[in-house]
Amino acid sequence: MALIQLENITKDYISEGTVTSVLHGISFSIQEGEFVSIMGPSGSGKSTLLHILGLLDRQTTGSYFFDQHDISTLSDEQRAQIRNQSIGFVFQAFHLLKRTTVLENVILPLYYSSVPKKEYIQKATAALEHVELSHRLNHMPSQLSGGERQRVAIARALVNDPKVIFADEPTGNLDSKTGATVMNTIEKLHLQGKTIIVITHETAAADYANRIITIADGLVASDKEVRSPHTHYSK
Amino acid sequence: MNLTSTIKTSIRALRANWGRSLLTILGIVIGVMAIVLVISLGQGAQNLILSQVQSIGANTIILRPGRQPTQPSDAASTLLTDSLKQRDVDALLKPINVPDLEAADPAVLVPGSVSYQNSVYQATVLGWTPNALGEVFHVYPEQGAFFTQDDVRSYAKVIVIGSKVKQELFGESDALGQFVTVHGQKLQVVGILPAKGQVTAFNIDDIGLIPYTTAQKTLLGIDYFHEIFLRAKPGANVDQVAADVTTTLREMHNITDPAKDDFFVVTQKTIVATVSTVTQVLTIFLVAIASISLMVGGIGIMNIMLVSVTERTQEIGLRKALGATNRNILLQFMIEAIMLTFAGGLLGTLIAITISALVSTIAQTYFALDWPFTLPIGAIVLGVGVSTAIGMIFGLYPARKAAAKDPIEALRFE
Repeated sequence: MALIQLENITKDYISEGTVTSVLHGISFSIQEGEFVSIMGPSGSGKSTLLHILGLLDRQTTGSYFFDQHDISTLSDEQRAQIRNQSIGFVFQAFHLLKRTTVLENVILPLYYSSVPKKEYIQKATAALEHVELSHRLNHMPSQLSGGERQRVAIARALVNDPKVIFADEPTGNLDSKTGATVMNTIEKLHLQGKTIIVITHETAAADYANRIITIADGLVASDKEVRSPHTHYSK
Repeated sequence: MNLTSTIKTSIRALRANWGRSLLTILGIVIGVMAIVLVISLGQGAQNLILSQVQSIGANTIILRPGRQPTQPSDAASTLLTDSLKQRDVDALLKPINVPDLEAADPAVLVPGSVSYQNSVYQATVLGWTPNALGEVFHVYPEQGAFFTQDDVRSYAKVIVIGSKVKQELFGESDALGQFVTVHGQKLQVVGILPAKGQVTAFNIDDIGLIPYTTAQKTLLGIDYFHEIFLRAKPGANVDQVAADVTTTLREMHNITDPAKDDFFVVTQKTIVATVSTVTQVLTIFLVAIASISLMVGGIGIMNIMLVSVTERTQEIGLRKALGATNRNILLQFMIEAIMLTFAGGLLGTLIAITISALVSTIAQTYFALDWPFTLPIGAIVLGVGVSTAIGMIFGLYPARKAAAKDPIEALRFE
């Protein structure tokens, strides 16, 4: 069974009595190890889709299986547990805690896990090594560049060894050069077997994927396999 | 989710706004300080009063004319009532009436001043029996001696004076054998008391003691007493003696209705009971008032926690995205609120203990009062406990609000 399986997902928002329909019936599945880019103009519903995929929001109708769990049957607590163990998030705005060292920012997901406390530092250090920030362990986020901050966020997404990493416009706040560094870091994770789902409207970022799903007006407009121009399969 | 990391996170959040945190807990600090202080000082004052009451001795019974005072005008009637006379003393001393009575020392209060040459001093002049002060309060003259039973019988014009009276009238010069004037009568100084300070109702240093007969006949021209100090025999049942005294006096005064008693009896036990009741009621009353400031402090905590929840909306969203459950978030904000109030309670308690210790030191050093410093463990537990409870109560609403935040909305929050 696929890691992610969506069947006719819809999402309606009700505000002040009027219903706004955002997703009209989305179906696709993603296998473990894929690198998928979800693209679409703003307002197409791709962020809403990511929130549902990331278990931050619930669909209105349709079925969603994540790692063989029927998500609609899970309690808030169970969903929090899956987010903690199987999902890593990378946000456009980094969302690092201020006045908290790089190391402790990366430890944050471990607080909510069953990982024994004595392994916290070792796991977080390993994750930071992965994004080549070992020399920044005790720095504050405010002392880092934008690209470094996003790599700290990637280390944080990585620390619980999740099955899938969701990145929501990971390069949106970065210039193209640092954006490329961040995408290279994400690509490295993919090469190590992680499933990557990137939401972006930048083709430069989408180019790293081997599958591009385009969303328009709440529906899947296209879904095609691509050969990444990046030579990562030969690395 | 482990507690130590939650506490660490809370400390960091509180330190980030330490000025605000400090101001926030001020209400709690003041409230807890007031409560602990009231209890601590109340206990100290009560102990002081009780230790003075106990210095009267457990077997002492004080007999006063008039009615048990319940209002200020009753005290005046006590001084003006002439119901207690020599025949009462004689009757009480008959073993058939009050078998366990050892002694009866009548007392007469002489208003006015004591003068020597050009010096005048407002002393408390008391007509009494020779040994009453020694036997009731264990105070004996430093120089000279008490007047004698013969002096009482012969209306001798003699006086024993307190250290302050001696100092004010004679300075460093010798007072023994000199004559002082009270109510126009010259009295010879036969004894000088050591400096003792306040003992129960009066200040020993300010006192002038004369034979009660002299006070009655020679100075005031009256035939009644203002007070009679009775002493039960050692080991006797004081309550029984007091009851016998009451029965005897009712017979002497032809009183059948106890409501019409023209005298009343005070024992150490009744004083202790009255003092304890008064201080306890007062303490409860003051603690209740102080609790209002705790309540206000609690509302301040709630207010600032609500601000904190709003300010940290993004952080809440992030934590939820990373796997924090609603319970985790609730706990984090609850712990933060409790840590705030706990710190406030601790600080308030420390300040209160310091003030309390200071007060007792000042009372002991400058006022020669035997004011004991008591560390009221109960008050500390109460202060810290109540402040922690305040944190739980007033922290719950903001914490629930934090826990209920939608992660998507929270992450989007700017």
